[in-house]
Amino acid sequence: MISLGPIIFGLMFGVIIGSQIKLNVNDTHFTIGSFILILIAGIVIAWQAGNFPFYIDLPLSTAFLSALIGIFVGKLIFARSK
Amino acid sequence: MSQNSIILKLISLPISIILICLGIMTVLGGHITPGGGFQGGAMIASGIILSVLVYGIGNSPLEFSHLYVEIFESVGALGFVIFGLIGLFVGGFFLYNVGTDILGIVPQTIQTILHYPDVTNAGIIPYLNIFVGLKVFVGLSAIIFAFAGFKKIVEEDE
Repeated sequence: MISLGPIIFGLMFGVIIGSQIKLNVNDTHFTIGSFILILIAGIVIAWQAGNFPFYIDLPLSTAFLSALIGIFVGKLIFARSK
Repeated sequence: MSQNSIILKLISLPISIILICLGIMTVLGGHITPGGGFQGGAMIASGIILSVLVYGIGNSPLEFSHLYVEIFESVGALGFVIFGLIGLFVGGFFLYNVGTDILGIVPQTIQTILHYPDVTNAGIIPYLNIFVGLKVFVGLSAIIFAFAGFKKIVEEDE
């Protein structure tokens, strides 16, 4: 059985924080490729961290991964440029 | 206050994002693993602090407005108190775990609504962790924004 709690609240937390990311404020350019690389690194970290005890639905940390996805979703949908 | 190294500027935003995700993971696992709201909130704030220290207060990709800080600080505190009052009015004790209901005094509908959706029988403990995490991360971030802002004002005066 999939535990929905960490997925739902990880996404919500991620969207709350990701909505404040602004990329056009400094001279360092982060392209879409940078974020794909961060996502791949995040999947590896989630897999290596493993899920919480008693959660036997997936072999990777659903809270970590949903937070990462939430940050990207929040950045794409809600983030406003300065 | 910002750093001029391009390597730092390239690596600190990805590390900040990973730190924030680790903090959220710590908050959400507070009822079954070591950690919880305060520790997770401090980890999230450390990601924000890293970003502010490297990019500077005006140029940081992760920077919160006064309204944002105000809203989520209030939501964190109010949520905790509201869950405590629900326990007081429904179960008879402040912060009574109405999601688990050990004493068997809470109606089944309230118990079902306030039960955290996972395999453990944690009740409202994860919700309290989430509210504390929200408050701590916004509060610690506000402190570092204030310090960085004061330092910027002092540097501009000199």
